[in-house]
Amino acid sequence: MNESRPYRRPAPKDWWAKAPYRAYTVREMSGLAVAGYGAVLFAGLYSLSQGPESWAAYVRFLQSPVSLLLHAALLAAVLYHVKTWFQILPKTMPKLILGRAPVAQRTITRVATIFAGACSLALVLITLGVAR
Amino acid sequence: MPDPAKKTIELRILRYQPGVDAAPSFGTFEVAGAENMSVLEALQTIKDTLDGSLSFRWSCRMAVCGSCGMMINGEPKLACSTFLRDLPPGPVTVEPLNNFPIERDLVISVGGFVKKIESIYPYIMPKEPKTVEQGPYRQTPAQLAAYESFSDCINCMLCYAACPQFGENPDFIGPGAMALLQRYNGDSRDAGRQKRLDTIHGENGVWSCTAVGICSEVCPKSVDPANAVNQNKTNSAFDFFLRFLRKE
Repeated sequence: MNESRPYRRPAPKDWWAKAPYRAYTVREMSGLAVAGYGAVLFAGLYSLSQGPESWAAYVRFLQSPVSLLLHAALLAAVLYHVKTWFQILPKTMPKLILGRAPVAQRTITRVATIFAGACSLALVLITLGVAR
Repeated sequence: MPDPAKKTIELRILRYQPGVDAAPSFGTFEVAGAENMSVLEALQTIKDTLDGSLSFRWSCRMAVCGSCGMMINGEPKLACSTFLRDLPPGPVTVEPLNNFPIERDLVISVGGFVKKIESIYPYIMPKEPKTVEQGPYRQTPAQLAAYESFSDCINCMLCYAACPQFGENPDFIGPGAMALLQRYNGDSRDAGRQKRLDTIHGENGVWSCTAVGICSEVCPKSVDPANAVNQNKTNSAFDFFLRFLRKE
């Protein structure tokens, strides 16, 4: 005789707001900051196409305290996103075997982060050099 | 000074008796001398001395068999390798693994998980079968390292209890079965990769995963199922785009 009457507990709908899932939610939401940065750059490109007055207005907006505050917040969120992005990078790739053993995930994260940092720094230096 | 060996610890255990209880509810037990017990030993003490009807799965008592997975203070853990002295003071909450139907007390239904394991061809499918005379299938240490950690899975299902996407979609193949899939797909002696990839496309395949990553954090064997799922998203995507170029 089959007495099995399994009870299915309702899954909480707010799992994403609770530990340990909160860190994941914050990580994913910080991706919106990347889109935010993109939107600011697109706005600049658009105003450039609309003529000198429009461009001047865009530059004025960039210099406003609201914009500075927005950029500080966006920068913080994007830096967090970059950090977590490289943290999950080794999870998304096949095991990297060097010699006989897999390379530690920490090492992959560290090397990739340093490489990306170096690329960003080089880009800033080149831009500054071109602007001079 | 009170004798620590005589310390009494309170366990709040989610009870459910099918056919009797409409829904699970907590029962409380006081276990004396529990200071140096694992949660599993405490459960066994309750079953032996306080309530013989308490149901739970266990076998090896040393984190090898994967039978005694349960939610301990809300976290998926093996009861045998979780010691009461390591938990914060106060009552300890013990519940069956999240995201699974409860059969009775701490026993969950594992049928769905077993079907998923079966679905991914959990055995080596050699390209050309060898006879005994032809000798063994040889493998270098590097080839072994490519899949070895995935072969450490003990099917304890803690990763499923930690996965919110499995909670949302019980048909999602999930972290454990994907670790096993990668164990074989990553094996140089195997040629069944395509057959296995065909089982993991779509929402019930790898694509329910959103890289939450807690599955790997709760794994008692450091199998890293999140790695198995996420590298197969790339494989699944490549397979989707390259399927027309494939020679069957």
